[in-house]
Amino acid sequence: MEILTLAAKIGAYALMTGVLLFALGVVALRNLFHSALCLAAALIGIAGLYLFFRADFLAAVQILLYVGAVMTVIIFAIMLTEHLSGKTTIQHNRQSLPAFLGIAALVTVIAKVILQTPWPVTQKALGAHTSVEGIGTALMTVYVFPFEVISVVLIAALIGAVIIAKRENPS
Amino acid sequence: MSGAGCGKEYGKFVKKSVPFFGWGVLCGLWVTLKNFITSYFRKPDEGGIFTVQYPEECLPDFEASRNFPFLVYDETPEKPRCVACGICERECPVKCIHVLMAKDENGKPLRRPAAFDIDYSLCMNCGNCEEVCPFNSIFMDHEHKIAAYDRKDLMRPMQKLLKSNSYFHSIRPRDAEAIDRAIKEAAEKKKAAVPAKPAPSPEAPKS
Amino acid sequence: MIFDPVFIRLKALFLDLCARFFPEWVVMLASIVISAVVILVMGPVIMMYLTLLERKLLGRIQNRYGPNRVGIWGLLQPVADGIKMFIKEDIVPAHADKIIHLLAPVVTVVPSLMVFLVVPFGNGMTAVNLNIGILYFVAISSITTIPIFMGSWASRNKFSVLGGMRAAAQMISYEAPMTLAIVPVIMASQTLATATIVESQGGGFGMNWFIFTPWGLLGFIIYFFCAIAECNRPPFDLPEAESELIAGFHTEYSGMKFALFYMAEYMNAFTLSAIAVTLFLGGWQGPFLPSWIWFFGKTFLLVCVMIWFRGTFLRFRVDHLMGFAWKFLLPLSLINILIAGLWFLTPAIAAWALTAGLVVASFFVFVKLNKTFVPEKRTYVLAD
Repeated sequence: MEILTLAAKIGAYALMTGVLLFALGVVALRNLFHSALCLAAALIGIAGLYLFFRADFLAAVQILLYVGAVMTVIIFAIMLTEHLSGKTTIQHNRQSLPAFLGIAALVTVIAKVILQTPWPVTQKALGAHTSVEGIGTALMTVYVFPFEVISVVLIAALIGAVIIAKRENPS
Repeated sequence: MSGAGCGKEYGKFVKKSVPFFGWGVLCGLWVTLKNFITSYFRKPDEGGIFTVQYPEECLPDFEASRNFPFLVYDETPEKPRCVACGICERECPVKCIHVLMAKDENGKPLRRPAAFDIDYSLCMNCGNCEEVCPFNSIFMDHEHKIAAYDRKDLMRPMQKLLKSNSYFHSIRPRDAEAIDRAIKEAAEKKKAAVPAKPAPSPEAPKS
Repeated sequence: MIFDPVFIRLKALFLDLCARFFPEWVVMLASIVISAVVILVMGPVIMMYLTLLERKLLGRIQNRYGPNRVGIWGLLQPVADGIKMFIKEDIVPAHADKIIHLLAPVVTVVPSLMVFLVVPFGNGMTAVNLNIGILYFVAISSITTIPIFMGSWASRNKFSVLGGMRAAAQMISYEAPMTLAIVPVIMASQTLATATIVESQGGGFGMNWFIFTPWGLLGFIIYFFCAIAECNRPPFDLPEAESELIAGFHTEYSGMKFALFYMAEYMNAFTLSAIAVTLFLGGWQGPFLPSWIWFFGKTFLLVCVMIWFRGTFLRFRVDHLMGFAWKFLLPLSLINILIAGLWFLTPAIAAWALTAGLVVASFFVFVKLNKTFVPEKRTYVLAD
């Protein structure tokens, strides 16, 4: 069994490295379409990490929403703006140094917060085999108000999209 | 064949009534399903599969179809109708016919060919030789599968070109009968005219 | 039912044999590898013979024999096609993005193979019984747009790009009603795991299928239309419409890359049919015969229906295609969720009457609302 655990560990670190590399690709590659594909790959990698930590529902939703929907819309936009997709653009300018400093500060703060937070591991959470039921119950009981508010926001977005897309009446 | 029938049927379905949305789609599905099932047992002329599986089975040749020329003999291959006049050789547009008249020991020409070669690799199947031949000797064959690996194999010497009159009857019965009748009539006329005028050329009208 | 668990017993036998000679982890690995190899072999083989089946059935519909030269009944035709594809020249356009052009067909196959993981081929014959099975299927099939985008963009060809655009628009549009059509099934079986969904359709000679309820029938019809649109088969084959776009997103592909696109398409057709069987037609449930025979029988029946559709229907127009998804299937699938809810809340006979009535009524209402737009008749001066 040790061999399998070791293999899983190596696989997880390889996955993390892959995600980081693809994330670097998103900001470093000069072709917008390549960047978008790298973003998709990074998102799929993150879904794989979720899967590794037994959060399979989250992984599926990650792929469905981010890779399936958001990425498709992004690539659609890139392809519609033809002169953007063909060109190679430089991805940095004179503000790169301050930006780097700002990001470094942000990363430090986040890392500090993560390290200081106690992450309680309960026996109940470990024993749960399906993550779906718990999420469903939580959405319908404790978090029912935010859930409904989000649905109102989505309805508003839908209606807005319809109004924008609707053809103007010539008269 | 079956297409027209299906169309009519489809029109009948649709025009009669449209009970609900998607009815036309269902009618279309029914037509294709029926065609699929009937393709297993219907005969070709009733709307079944009319594909001819070519190398194994062939459509019958049309009588007037023409491919490559051959020579006709009447009783034995030693006595061909051809008199080596060379008209076909002259008329052939691609010059694929070569005729040599036979001569006896005195150098007097005999009325039969010593050699009669046709290069099938040159022949373009025009049928001019058949049309110009005054002796009803050269005709277009139905055989078309003559592919060979070597150009030389497409050279046909006289032995290979000679085919019997009965073969000619089997592939082109109508033409063969008309020509036979014409030859017989000419022969009778000639026999009747022998006392008056000796040896007219055995000209026979073409069918 | 001696033949029912025959494949499971075979695998158990092999693993037992392994356990005698090898440590435990080898057995575990072998158990995974066996399932993986079976799927990896089954996918392409199914694809090869689906092409043959399609050509045969289409031929019969069009009064032809279809391929019948290579082997008896043309059974070796797919092998001949495969060899031909392998030895064809691989052409890459001069201005193509070489790497992505190469990657696109490879990536296309991955999601269609991954869906095989959760397909319950028989009683206890699911490769991985994920407890999010259906969600996994929906998520994986939503990725399939990206390789199409990659192929169409990397080819640097206007037909490819147009095909890719159409594919994306169509897939996004039809994913919504497809997912919503699945929801009532999840409500009825109270699970996302494919094997459990099949088990909940048992009882009554194993004929308690969801399609025998009003909401199940409606859901199945919506799902099936969307499935055909998802794998770009006629009449929804706009992304590769030959008469307009040459071959759509795979215009610039040849040889094995082209074959990979085809492989993905046919494996998608198979897996989408398999999921339809799982969700609505009772999966492997059925009387008398072994479970896997029931499953494959139903799946191939659905595939044959897809081929039948291809032999019958004309291609949609783009605006009709979009309208059909957004204005007809989507509201109908939303109503269907409501109907399914009513079905579970009301007692038996009343539920039948109520839901059946609602299904028919909503169908007619949406037909009425979707009046086809008929442009006013054009008149030509010279024609009169």
